[in-house]
Amino acid sequence: MSEVRTVEADSAPPQARPSIEQIESADLVVGILADLSPDEVTEVCDALRTLPGKPRIVVLQNSAANASPEVSEAAEQDSALSLLPWPVDVQNATAAPVESALAAYQSIFSVGDRLGVRGCCIIASKLEHAPSKWVCRLTEPLLVPDFDFVAPCYARRKFEGLLNNGIISPLTRSLYGKRIQNPMGPDLGISQRLLGRILAGDRNGKAGGGGMHLLASLVPKAVCENLLVCQAYLGARIYPPMDWTDVSSLLAEILGPVFLAMEKNAACWQRTRTSSPVVALNEPLPVMQTTAIVDIARMVNSFQLGNRDLQEIWGLVLPPATLLDIRKLSRLAPEQFQFPDELWVRIIYDFALAYHLRTINRDHLLRSLTPLYLGWVAAYARELETAEAAEIEQRLERLSLAYETGKPYLVSRWRWPDRFNP
Amino acid sequence: MWNQVKQALQLSTTGFVTRLASLLPGLIALIVALVISLLLAWIVAIVVRRVLKSMRFDERLADWGLSSTAEWSPRGSPALLVSEIVAIAIIAAGLLIGIAAFNSDMTTSMVRSIFAYVPNILGAILVLLVGMVLARFVGRSVLIGAVNLNLGYARLLSVGTKWLVMVLAIAMALVHLRIAVGIVELAFGILFGGIVLSLALAVGLGSKDLVTKSLERDTNRPPAEPLKEPFRHL
Repeated sequence: MSEVRTVEADSAPPQARPSIEQIESADLVVGILADLSPDEVTEVCDALRTLPGKPRIVVLQNSAANASPEVSEAAEQDSALSLLPWPVDVQNATAAPVESALAAYQSIFSVGDRLGVRGCCIIASKLEHAPSKWVCRLTEPLLVPDFDFVAPCYARRKFEGLLNNGIISPLTRSLYGKRIQNPMGPDLGISQRLLGRILAGDRNGKAGGGGMHLLASLVPKAVCENLLVCQAYLGARIYPPMDWTDVSSLLAEILGPVFLAMEKNAACWQRTRTSSPVVALNEPLPVMQTTAIVDIARMVNSFQLGNRDLQEIWGLVLPPATLLDIRKLSRLAPEQFQFPDELWVRIIYDFALAYHLRTINRDHLLRSLTPLYLGWVAAYARELETAEAAEIEQRLERLSLAYETGKPYLVSRWRWPDRFNP
Repeated sequence: MWNQVKQALQLSTTGFVTRLASLLPGLIALIVALVISLLLAWIVAIVVRRVLKSMRFDERLADWGLSSTAEWSPRGSPALLVSEIVAIAIIAAGLLIGIAAFNSDMTTSMVRSIFAYVPNILGAILVLLVGMVLARFVGRSVLIGAVNLNLGYARLLSVGTKWLVMVLAIAMALVHLRIAVGIVELAFGILFGGIVLSLALAVGLGSKDLVTKSLERDTNRPPAEPLKEPFRHL
């Protein structure tokens, strides 16, 4: 045990090590990775003090510069709450922001494990509501009703979180049978039980390397080990702007760990037949939908270019019938463009299978999905251009059902990749 | 007269039979060496194949980014390819040992020079194999990257890159084999120099305005300008 603790202490930033070593134990660790203002940090600390049962809380803040002197002083005098700076490596953050943020997840989880906490919570994004209003929604279920994983449930805007809406969430629902809106957070809460199992898996090399593997394995681990999962409504999330030319890197970075977790938990998800909703805490918050006309021509063009030039690679991954359907779609003009759910689901399942079978280099495989993904986004955007919140939910429900309906196809191909090739 | 003819015939027959008899042990040795090497090759190939399978060689190769080797390996298994190469090498060695058993100066010197050349052949094969794998890998990387950047000439770029790597590998292999070293070096220098020069001319003359605009756009770009794109993927 002492050896393990030494390893975990090493994962803390050097500036934070003396402070963290002075703390012997705590009930809750809250990691603030989002760029919050000093006032917001103060509000978060105040909100955490109102948690029932007066738990001992350690708040790890990603930037010391943001901590106001008043907050630090108040935290120093408060024996129930400690506020510690937890700087993310800036040099790494510039080179690979996703990876460095995820390394911070890992180090915060390690601290939680070392302090023997009952729960660990991460605040990674900015929401339209002040964090003080929703931080307790993530932490409270870990302490009082004793849930093991609290996933965030954001108020959806139609063109946000597309990778999650189009692949991660419906795939997770279909595989593991739990209807979770955001299986990979990024804001989340996990219990000591789940934390211990995840870190044990990580130490044994079962969860793979980086932090993304850790995030992708949270829901599979929780569901397959019969732990309690819930989701909390948090409001609308403010998404950082992204360079659309970098979509391929994003796909490779996110889907790789998702497919890897799928490979590791194959025995578990093959037993799951249907899906069920998870406990949803609090009330959903409404969000305004914009009805702006979007330009999908560029994405359709990417799809058509991929169809023309990537046949050699897609031919190794997709069955002939799917390739034929893709060819038919590529002849459609942007104003008529559509992407049937059944086809999209088969494509994702075939890519997951090719990832498992290592048909081609895994990075090449995931990056070659980009034109298909952009094609799906184009069709989705065209369909929901003027849609309201209810229509968006219905549309995503239809997609999730298509994933569930297509699961026997995945199971058959997974079990008999050579024999079952339509 | 007739006696002299008879004597000459007897002498030539005796000489032929004597030479044949002196060659016979060598011939038998060649056959024995070949049979033994075939047997050894078969056993070693099985052992190598089993060891590689137990090491999950095919999966490891794919992990190292060399998954394309499976595509041109027999039955899609690089382990099988390695075991077959080892078997062929053992049979070739057995053949050379058999030839050396003739014990004539000519065969000995021939075998010696062949053995001296073997490292060059092996080196060339290795260079060519690595070159082929690398060419395919780089070609695919360029193709996928260019398509994802929406470049209309992605395929051309990919094929060009693939063949550049292949030409480089072939030139290196020929240098290893010591075949027309001077010509290969000269031809390769001219080819690569020509490509670089033509690219420089194309950029310098043909696409001057395009490059200027591109550089201006990059230098004048405001830092972290928020995108107007309404889509948020993650």
